Amino acid sequence: MKDIADIRETLLQRFDTLETKSDILKAPELKVMFNAIKDQSVEERAAFGHAVNQIRVELQAKVASAEAADEVIEPLDVTAPWDVNTGPIALLSTEDGSIHPLMREITVLGDIFERMGFAIEGSREIDDQYHMFESLNFPKGHPARDDYDTFMTVETDKDGEPLIAPAHTSTMQNRMLKKYKANLVADEPIAVVVPDRVFRNEDLDARHEHTFYQVEGVYVAKNVHAGMLIATLKEFLQAYYAKELDVRVNPFYFPFTEPSFEFALSCPFCDKKGCGICGYEGWIELLGCGMIHPNVLKAADIDPTVYTGFAFGCGIDRLVMMKYGIEDVRHFHSGKLDFLRQF
Amino acid sequence: MKVSLNTVKQYTDVDISVDELVTKINAQLGGVEAVIDLGARYEKATIAKIVKCEKHPNADKLSVCEIDAGTGENIQVVCGAPNVREGLFVVWLPPGSTVPASFADKAPFVLEARELRGVVSNGMLASAKELGIGESHDGILEIDPNEWKPSDVEIKPGTSFARAYGLDDTIIDIENKMFTHRPDLFGQLGVAREIAGIQHKQFTSPDWYKKTVEFGSGEGLKLEVRNDTPEIVPRFMAVAIKNVVVKPSPLWLQAELVRLGSKPISNIVDVTNYIMLLTGQPLHAYDYDKVATGVLGARAAKQGETIALLSGKTIQLDESDMVITDGQKSIGLAGVMGGAETEVSADTKNIILECATFDMYTVRKTSMRHGIFTDAVTRYNKGQSPLQNPNVLHLAMQSIVDTAGGEEGSEVVDNKNLSAFEEKYTRPITLNETFINSRLGLTLGHDEIRQLLENVECIVGGETDSTITPPFWRTDLELAEDIVEEVGRLYGFDKLPHTLPRRSIKPAPRNADRVLAQKTRDRLSRAGANEVLTYSFVHENIIKQAGQDSAQASKLSNALSPDLQYYRLSLTPSLLNKVHMNIKAGFDGFAIFERNKVHFKGEMDPDEPNIPHEDEHIGLVIAHDDKQKPSGSPYYHALKYLGQITKLEAAQLVPLASFDLAKDEWGRQLTAPYEPHRSAIIVKDDEIWGVVGEYKRSVKRAFKLPDFTAGFEVHQAIITEPEVVYAPLSKYPGSERDICFQVARSTPYADVVRVAAEAANHETIDCSIQPVDIYQPDVGDTKNITLRLTFTSQQKTLSGDEVTALVKAVTDRVVAELSAVVI
Repeated sequence: MKDIADIRETLLQRFDTLETKSDILKAPELKVMFNAIKDQSVEERAAFGHAVNQIRVELQAKVASAEAADEVIEPLDVTAPWDVNTGPIALLSTEDGSIHPLMREITVLGDIFERMGFAIEGSREIDDQYHMFESLNFPKGHPARDDYDTFMTVETDKDGEPLIAPAHTSTMQNRMLKKYKANLVADEPIAVVVPDRVFRNEDLDARHEHTFYQVEGVYVAKNVHAGMLIATLKEFLQAYYAKELDVRVNPFYFPFTEPSFEFALSCPFCDKKGCGICGYEGWIELLGCGMIHPNVLKAADIDPTVYTGFAFGCGIDRLVMMKYGIEDVRHFHSGKLDFLRQF
Repeated sequence: MKVSLNTVKQYTDVDISVDELVTKINAQLGGVEAVIDLGARYEKATIAKIVKCEKHPNADKLSVCEIDAGTGENIQVVCGAPNVREGLFVVWLPPGSTVPASFADKAPFVLEARELRGVVSNGMLASAKELGIGESHDGILEIDPNEWKPSDVEIKPGTSFARAYGLDDTIIDIENKMFTHRPDLFGQLGVAREIAGIQHKQFTSPDWYKKTVEFGSGEGLKLEVRNDTPEIVPRFMAVAIKNVVVKPSPLWLQAELVRLGSKPISNIVDVTNYIMLLTGQPLHAYDYDKVATGVLGARAAKQGETIALLSGKTIQLDESDMVITDGQKSIGLAGVMGGAETEVSADTKNIILECATFDMYTVRKTSMRHGIFTDAVTRYNKGQSPLQNPNVLHLAMQSIVDTAGGEEGSEVVDNKNLSAFEEKYTRPITLNETFINSRLGLTLGHDEIRQLLENVECIVGGETDSTITPPFWRTDLELAEDIVEEVGRLYGFDKLPHTLPRRSIKPAPRNADRVLAQKTRDRLSRAGANEVLTYSFVHENIIKQAGQDSAQASKLSNALSPDLQYYRLSLTPSLLNKVHMNIKAGFDGFAIFERNKVHFKGEMDPDEPNIPHEDEHIGLVIAHDDKQKPSGSPYYHALKYLGQITKLEAAQLVPLASFDLAKDEWGRQLTAPYEPHRSAIIVKDDEIWGVVGEYKRSVKRAFKLPDFTAGFEVHQAIITEPEVVYAPLSKYPGSERDICFQVARSTPYADVVRVAAEAANHETIDCSIQPVDIYQPDVGDTKNITLRLTFTSQQKTLSGDEVTALVKAVTDRVVAELSAVVI
């Protein structure tokens, strides 16, 4: 028992010198004593255990009161330009500042579309199924909904359907068509792109993110045909990569376009010779697109017998990864300064 | 969708190379995921006849065979199979060939001539399992040279096994996603039709598929169909077949199934599967004698009802599921999977063959809810046409009798309710070449369009040849736009003209938010801060660590991980979560910022009351490692960064501690991580627009933040482009005076500046006020604020006396109003 008293004294002395008072509760002496309880003889065990525990309780109380004392917080003058007894604030070095590569690229491609006459709009992070599916000609229960691993919320809309985290920026298509419908009356096209964040309920790995960026585009006017869609995207990509490119379309299926295409460009990094970026194919499958389905135009009160249009959706993360040779899509949302300060 | 080129060739000619075909399929039908050369697997597998078979001298279970493999001389092979015997036709795998079943393995098994117990075996005789066409490994595969098969290749020693049974095949795997709207392309026949169409060849469906069928009649077995939900089961056909013999299918049929990616089971099951793979129409066979009532019913499941499925799993149903019943209890999950109780087995004598159509949405829902995905589901959930059922059933009946014997045991029951379907799908569509050409940018002639469509069996007719009647299997052709796609695709989208749209020179509208967002980014990054993007969803722990209430956050119901369970209430917790990792990574001092959306549950969008409101915020956190921290409180650093993106009046900064948030749940959540005595609310028009300050001790501990950490989070609406108010430059020099006021510690700096500025206000003399020093001694309750006043007149050079008088006016006012002392 003499030993216990000595150890207590040692711990109390050490407590006074500690910067982080709670560290005393991790002292090795405490652990040793607790471990020693089971080694005591049966008669002594209870008394020994009690004494050891007493020390811990005492130390816990001291830690708590020390922390409470720390909690006294000095208020500051929120209107002052700097703290008392200091001087003007220096900002960090401009050299260390950076803009996120995805945001930087959205600016670049947004500028191109703006020059081509497109308005730029933002998307939403929580939406109803009407905008994500119904207004885009995916009826309730349609199997094409399975192709979008959509995050759903516990909360529901007025129809009792879960709200969703949009899996494509097309969730804005109906709103954009309605917002710019007046253009058609003035004999101007509806021309809008929506570059923004979308979500898919996927496991993360180097090539798959549940959170990523897409740019959606719509163009509606009289006499718009599928060849114009291909020409417009080709023009955009040539401006983006600042070089001549070949493009091709393959038929695809989307409920909201008819016909629908998968659009590929000749690899701008190897000019179709084959390289690591295009998987030695010479072509890069980049985006989905098509002529807007008449039901989608009708949902926005646009007469599909008078007006036609095209729509496209392109992943932005992949454009950026290819441009800079980024090896892992997870870096984008990692918040790692090692990564961010390179841009 | 696996497509067998050999099967396709049974229905149409393919006179281009596989590479060309694949390119064409990619361009005009759908993305090809893989091309498998099945023939390579069976390259050397040869049909041989055992001419002599003797016991191995040194092994009880082995036989030594002489085989005739058409090479001109007999070859010795040692075989361990119990069924090996003289006269048998078998498949011989010669030395140097690969065992087909191991072909796709990492280390394929390549045979050689080697001694078995002292006797040389030249390769081996193969079992069905080794050939990759079945599970049976009990003995070698026996070939009946006289059994009917579709190919006319003669079975004799030396015949290529692959050629005889169509295994010299190329399998083209096309993405299923492409065919979501094309139920007909989930059958080989449908794909064959398209392959003809894209080659600009006329396709003609076989009679068994297209010609109206006449059913015979049978008797002996009672069969009744009771359809309680005709809206969900628009067609339910069934027939009983009696006295069948269940056994393995003929070899050709097994080979067909293998090519199409299926597995042979027994003749009855194989026939139903094969016809489904051909036509896209699922079929099901029941053991008649296990359906005791002789009734097949279709109805919604009862809440809590259970069913044991063919897969061995028993599941619990609810009213949204459709079941097949024996009139009372359920014996199958409609359109998804049959039940175990009525499964066809080796002892089955009589069967019921079912060919039904189920509502695609109901099938999809049941399949998703129970996580059961079968070939039948893949087909039913695309919406198969009920108009093909009689032909499919007719072919199935014939094929069953061909492979299993027996005869019709009942009438064919056809319970149908097709009015809704016919109204939707068999309406003629007007063919208007102007409409088609204007949407494709082409100038195709009427006859050209007509030919493209007729190649895939659309009927072009009417008085002026201007109506299109889609064939009964094309449920996707409904609108004129569908015909546009069809024509464009069959013609070739690669031939569309690349023409840019024309537009007026009216400038595109600018998005002011976007411009401001870019300026915000530019300004903060120029100030050395780093833009980050963090997830919109956070773990509940992050919300709690920040002192926020997760009950106020929208919650995901299907997140893969708890890390993504809640929509975030503000950006600050996500940013704080990125501080410690970067300090650990060796960054001593940094500022990270993000511009993104936040959500507060229950606050709805004023423009769209059905959906939640979204706010766009800008958040920033500045942190310095303990070793390298700047002097003073971090609050002022955060404030300085905020000043880079918005000009705040001092009056807009209200100490958090003195702000009443009792009725403002949103304000409480936003400010929850911030220490009330060392933070300020940003106020505009009496409303909260943001917060700037240091973090609570508990928050610092939870996120392992260094002592020097502060930040802000504001609504984007307070970020404004500062208005330029120009003041003409004076011709006269300004006069500077520094004044030091001693005030109570509690007196805000801004009050001193405000009172001084009010006192210095003068019609013709401008006064600028800048801070010089703020000194606070360790003891006492005062502080000294030194300001530099610069007076400039637009009219003259100010004399010393004039300046002194101006200064006195200022000092008198500050002294009087703030009980200050001039030092």
